[in-house]
Amino acid sequence: MIIDILAGAVRGGTSIMYAGLGETISERGGVINLGTEGAMLLGALGGYAVTAETGNPWLGVLGGALAGALLSLTHAVLVVSRRANQFASGLTLYFLALGVTALFGVGYVSRQINAFTPVPVPGLSEIPGLGPILFDHDPLVYLAYVAAPVIWWVLFRTRVGLLVRTAGERTEALEVHGYSVKAVRYCATVAGGALAGIGGAHISIAYANSWFENMIAGRGFIAVALVIFAMWNPIRIMAGAYLFGAALSLASVLQTSGIAVNQFALNAVPFVLTLVVLAVLGRRTMLAAPDELLKVFDNSRTT
Amino acid sequence: MSQDVTKEAPALPAPAPPVERSRRLLTRGTALLRWLGALIAGLVVFGAFVLANGADPFAVYADIWTSTLTQPGQFQQIVLRAAPIALAGLAVVVPARAGLVNVGGEGQLIIGAVAAAGVALWLTPVASPWLVMLLMVVAAVVAGAAWAGIAAAMRLVVKVNEAVTTLLLNYVALYSMLFLILGPWKDPAALGQSTSVELHDAMKLPVFAGTAIHVGVVLAVVAAGAVWFALTRTTWGFRLSVVGGNAEAARRAGLPVVTLLLTALLIGGALAGLAGFIQLAGMEYKLRPTFGLTIGYVAFLASWLSRHKPLPLLVASLVLAAIAVSGNSLQIGSGLPAASVNILMGLVLLAVLGWTSPRKVRS
Amino acid sequence: MTTDAVARARGRVGKPAALLEVRSLSKRFGEVQANWDVDLTVLPGTVHGLIGENGAGKSTLLKMIYGVYTPDEGRMFVDGAPVSPGSPADARALGIGMVFQDLRLVPALTVAENIALALPDGPTLRLARLAARITEASEAYGLAVDPSAQVRHLSIGERQRAEILKVLMTGARLVILDEPTSVLAPQEVEALFGVVAQLRDRGLGVVLVTHKLGEVRAIADQVTVLRGGQVILNAEDPGNFSDAELVEAMVGRRVPPLAVERVAVPPRERAVLELRGATALGDRGHVALKGVDLDVHPGELVGVAGVAGSGQKELCEVALGLRPVTSGSVRVDDTGGGAVAVPEDPVADSVVPGLTVLEHMVLDGRAVPRRGLGIDWPAVGARTAVLDERVGLHMAPTKRTLSSLSGGNIQRVVLTRELGQDASLVVAAYPSRGLDVANTRRTQELLLQHRARGAGVLMVSEDLDELIAVADRIAVMHDGHLVGVVDTAGADRMSIGRLMLGGVA
Repeated sequence: MIIDILAGAVRGGTSIMYAGLGETISERGGVINLGTEGAMLLGALGGYAVTAETGNPWLGVLGGALAGALLSLTHAVLVVSRRANQFASGLTLYFLALGVTALFGVGYVSRQINAFTPVPVPGLSEIPGLGPILFDHDPLVYLAYVAAPVIWWVLFRTRVGLLVRTAGERTEALEVHGYSVKAVRYCATVAGGALAGIGGAHISIAYANSWFENMIAGRGFIAVALVIFAMWNPIRIMAGAYLFGAALSLASVLQTSGIAVNQFALNAVPFVLTLVVLAVLGRRTMLAAPDELLKVFDNSRTT
Repeated sequence: MSQDVTKEAPALPAPAPPVERSRRLLTRGTALLRWLGALIAGLVVFGAFVLANGADPFAVYADIWTSTLTQPGQFQQIVLRAAPIALAGLAVVVPARAGLVNVGGEGQLIIGAVAAAGVALWLTPVASPWLVMLLMVVAAVVAGAAWAGIAAAMRLVVKVNEAVTTLLLNYVALYSMLFLILGPWKDPAALGQSTSVELHDAMKLPVFAGTAIHVGVVLAVVAAGAVWFALTRTTWGFRLSVVGGNAEAARRAGLPVVTLLLTALLIGGALAGLAGFIQLAGMEYKLRPTFGLTIGYVAFLASWLSRHKPLPLLVASLVLAAIAVSGNSLQIGSGLPAASVNILMGLVLLAVLGWTSPRKVRS
Repeated sequence: MTTDAVARARGRVGKPAALLEVRSLSKRFGEVQANWDVDLTVLPGTVHGLIGENGAGKSTLLKMIYGVYTPDEGRMFVDGAPVSPGSPADARALGIGMVFQDLRLVPALTVAENIALALPDGPTLRLARLAARITEASEAYGLAVDPSAQVRHLSIGERQRAEILKVLMTGARLVILDEPTSVLAPQEVEALFGVVAQLRDRGLGVVLVTHKLGEVRAIADQVTVLRGGQVILNAEDPGNFSDAELVEAMVGRRVPPLAVERVAVPPRERAVLELRGATALGDRGHVALKGVDLDVHPGELVGVAGVAGSGQKELCEVALGLRPVTSGSVRVDDTGGGAVAVPEDPVADSVVPGLTVLEHMVLDGRAVPRRGLGIDWPAVGARTAVLDERVGLHMAPTKRTLSSLSGGNIQRVVLTRELGQDASLVVAAYPSRGLDVANTRRTQELLLQHRARGAGVLMVSEDLDELIAVADRIAVMHDGHLVGVVDTAGADRMSIGRLMLGGVA
């Protein structure tokens, strides 16, 4: 059962990890996107619809990424170009995505698709314990193993990453060297949305293999909170995402093993867990927040 | 020496241009025009969405028009819908004055309703109806405030932003309610969908004779007036805007910043809890899985649409309520899901956020 | 020696092409003519002092040269060729480098990452290779700096060295230093001037913006004076002018010296402010104030000197009860009306952008006139008119919102509100920041009036001359410690400077 929970953690945490990695990029650039939840919703429907129409889940992933990127592009227009409040814009986009996916999703409810199936890694999946936990999953799970370190490398070892981090720390320093803060933030926000879209697509075409209204159920908001206590670090996002995956998989594993627990009490666990972790670690991790992001957070400072 | 005041460049980006009395009417006029423009833009884009989905947007709009605005009794439905939206909107307005973003109206409303339902469940058999009703109100207000208080505590003690925590608390509230109505509070007589036991008739809000309008509507209007007075005419309201404008300046001026922030968020939660009470005792009469669904989010949009001003909020609540009511007729008439109208609401606020004069971020 | 340098520069190239030549530059912002018909010529191998008061148009001129603003009229030449830099990137491509007063470094990044931002080569950072280049360059120019250090942990002097190094590594031939000395201790200024001299000797042109005459005399080969957006003296040899003449060129009128005669206030036993072993944390959680003992007596003006970020801010906040002490004690005797304060950064700490001047007048910690549940604004207005008259700093009209005011006008609002009250303790951090000479003088008079009235005054300034002119004693801070208290009578700048750097007087 432990192995089931851990394997479920990896599977269930993958979508949150994609969204968390995306939100890390966006917030490192100084833009918080509560619309991550909406981008995941759009990604889930986009991924599902494209897979249903083309029969190719990889095209579905692409569709999900595009859908998420599109929503985040709207966020970027509003907060970067129009200087709208970041929280208000993000939440409005979530609401918009709720409506859009309800409208366009009707036709896909209970439609069958050619979903991703687990692809055991030859050899590695045979390892007792570790094999089923890590190496008996769909391809998007394996891609996530690579995505976190790659995004870390891009953020901390490349020029593009340096520009993103500078946009989130001190905009004058970017402007004085002839870079456009707006351009950098647009790119970071849209890239973040695309990753959130992939996360959403993972849920519909690899995890649940179905589409239903509001199927993300708050995972996007958890991802936003996760970024805070992962201290804006992709590697920590990976660890945190699997922790929440475990909380999510607890419900289904307990149910299948016939232990009677109220399902809704279990559904609340990831959210309570997030709040508790924030309460315990929040004060310390907020010290690592990018300075420009702090300005967004602290419209009224209390220090 | 004093005339050089006008000559130098401002040291701060302007959050809003200084409004002189003579220009105030003009700005109000353009604000109204922008509002209308945003509404029209929202309708056009929504029409495009409808069209993309294979339905005829004109037919849909005609449908919405006839079913929502020309049917007798529908206006009362809109007013009834608007009341909890307005109250939950005030729950955004008050903290916003102190610079706080309360996205937790959804959860605070549910918890308020759960508390009120709990009181009704336990006390109806043993206490007089008026006492039960009074205690339901108190329970809803206290529970809503306490729910917001969790976010306030995390903001003030751990410094985690309240927007993130209130969002997470929404889900905890929702799952707590679901836990209750599918478990301990489940009405054994309920068919199909699980619900809690319906309120006793004496616990339902009285309606005005000959209408469906219950006293909760009056409560919402009175609350908006009270909030308007408190924010614009009292020392407390002024202090709140100082904290919202620059908390450090407030602290150095000797204002009790922590208390002000805490009261702003607690009062917000209390108002949302009250919204939960009137939704329960005036509209739904029992808790069900869809209880109060999206009222908190719609209220958030309404508050931003009205730029956190209590009296325009009443208008915004009516408009959004009308759109929400039209969602039902949409489902019946055109077979589109009711949630589709969320698109229209979202689009209108997006247009307002994007078009109205940019409120610059303080540097 | 200065004339030698010019001759040397001219001699080297025969008839020298000016590194930078600016002709008849004009720039207008709405009503304000920020620059009018400005000429500036910078020769290679010279240090060009650019002096003028706040608001004289220095920064507008620099920003036009650096491509931030486009001039309305006029032309610019680099090496004799006409140019019109449209962005800082253009300016850098022409070999113009700028060291901003507030520096453009990112505190959260390392020195190497900051420099990588300025050197656009390659998609990856290759930090190890870059670190080697930085070390090499820092040795070549005598600018010691650790490439892997996070800028947040560097002192102001080190940050400035990193910034200069960054500018040099981008290939600047003309280095503009915008008031680089205002945050430095005298010894650091000497070290900086050593670097500047080295740059000059390598044939680079340096523009040094300052308002301190001593610095012009110490290092500049030529001096240009701006006043009211116009050139008053153009590329003159500073040796040909007396201090009084230069000051008059800057200010346009003779400034009478501050009255040195002070009313002696009878000493009292009981201090208004008494710090004993006061220790406090800074905003980032580090210990910023370390065991400070300090008394401020009634009728005494105590100056606080120190390199920027040595704990002055925390000292003020502890004295005002705004920051808790982690150990030690603070006692304020507020029998005479409590404390008033001019904050270090009024825009960040004292200004609510959307509120009016009038609404700011009630944010002074005193009882507010009430009417019913609200505030009696007409009464506040009447009170404010009296205050403005008495203080004499001429605030902006009370209906204006603070967001529409310039830094100097904001400072006047804060000064009027705070210094207009009677208080037993006055804590003023950089009170004359952003003010012109006349208002600076008025502010100093106000502080001395408080002193004469029997208040204790604690005044932080980065201008040692100001402190020596106004204070009775100067408390010197270094790295959170109070390293010495110097009696102003007979104090000399260099010994104060040694204390500022943590040495022994």
